[in-house]
Amino acid sequence: MRFSSFCAVDRKTLGRGLLAGLLALALSACGGKSYVVLLENPDGSTGKIVVKGAKGEQSVSVAGQGVPNDGSAPPAAIPQAQIERDFGAALAAQPKLPVRFLLYFQSAGVALTGESQALLPKILEEVSQRPAPDVSVIGHTDTVGKAEMNEALALKRAEAIAALLKDKGLKVHALSVESHGERNLLVATPDETAEPKNRRVEISIR
Amino acid sequence: MRHAIWLAAFWLAGSAGAQEAAIGYVKNVSGEASVITAGKSAKAAVGTPVQQGSVLRTGPKSSLGVVFKDETVMSFGPDTELSVDDYLYQPGQGKLKLGSKLAKGSLNYVSGVIAKLQPEAVSVATPAGIIGVRGTHFAVRVEEE
Repeated sequence: MRFSSFCAVDRKTLGRGLLAGLLALALSACGGKSYVVLLENPDGSTGKIVVKGAKGEQSVSVAGQGVPNDGSAPPAAIPQAQIERDFGAALAAQPKLPVRFLLYFQSAGVALTGESQALLPKILEEVSQRPAPDVSVIGHTDTVGKAEMNEALALKRAEAIAALLKDKGLKVHALSVESHGERNLLVATPDETAEPKNRRVEISIR
Repeated sequence: MRHAIWLAAFWLAGSAGAQEAAIGYVKNVSGEASVITAGKSAKAAVGTPVQQGSVLRTGPKSSLGVVFKDETVMSFGPDTELSVDDYLYQPGQGKLKLGSKLAKGSLNYVSGVIAKLQPEAVSVATPAGIIGVRGTHFAVRVEEE
């Protein structure tokens, strides 16, 4: 229980406005040596983590707050200086975040819309900016027609796009060309529903 | 004879896996880091594949960055060891799982598509407990006692 009493003292001293350095020191004792801290998502939103340990269960949904890995104390703010000290190297090593493009087709065939055609240079540029680029080209259809036919059509679309990108000079470390057929809809629809948004090829660039 | 068959099966499974089952790649390394897969240790370099079951290790004053197929991003500070115990990414079949274990060190984690599609399928175990990831960015540290 030493852990929680430490935390209680910290909050009081925090209220009295102690020196920032001392505060960081006190809070680091509160956070413990083995702990997890929630951070803001790259898009500015914040998600949630749930920690289940031998000494309790905690959930954290405020960026900058952390809990001990054993779940023994409720969420508390972790000072920026401590995050930098404990995670600076790991944060600095974060690779460039993956990006995803959606390409759309004119109709039932494999010809891209003009807008999607215009995205191709941007796709090549994103690939070229990454070390050991790992790219997936994933074909999708809407639900018009039989599932097996759509599986084949989606693969044909993905292969067509992969070939097009290669023609334009795509250089990758690894490339996978896949079909999700009609099983991974972007817009949920009943069977036998024409939906242009579902007739797509996704390009995941990592 | 039975042994020979088993060995052959094992070898075939192993070699097929090496070709097909990359679940992610090393994107950056500083200092000393390694990827241990099926008991074999390889020095981590840009482009080194990571497979299900791989153990990622960094040495003192070292760091490592990895991006997985589902766009999950992990990076590690010094003296870190993480194993990728479960990795399933087949959204078409609804087969999704990403279970890893941080034995020691520091991990920065930006969740990917698996956490988006099936949040309860993503977890990071530590020696003291388990972290459930509900589509988010976090950092976790394990210091040895």
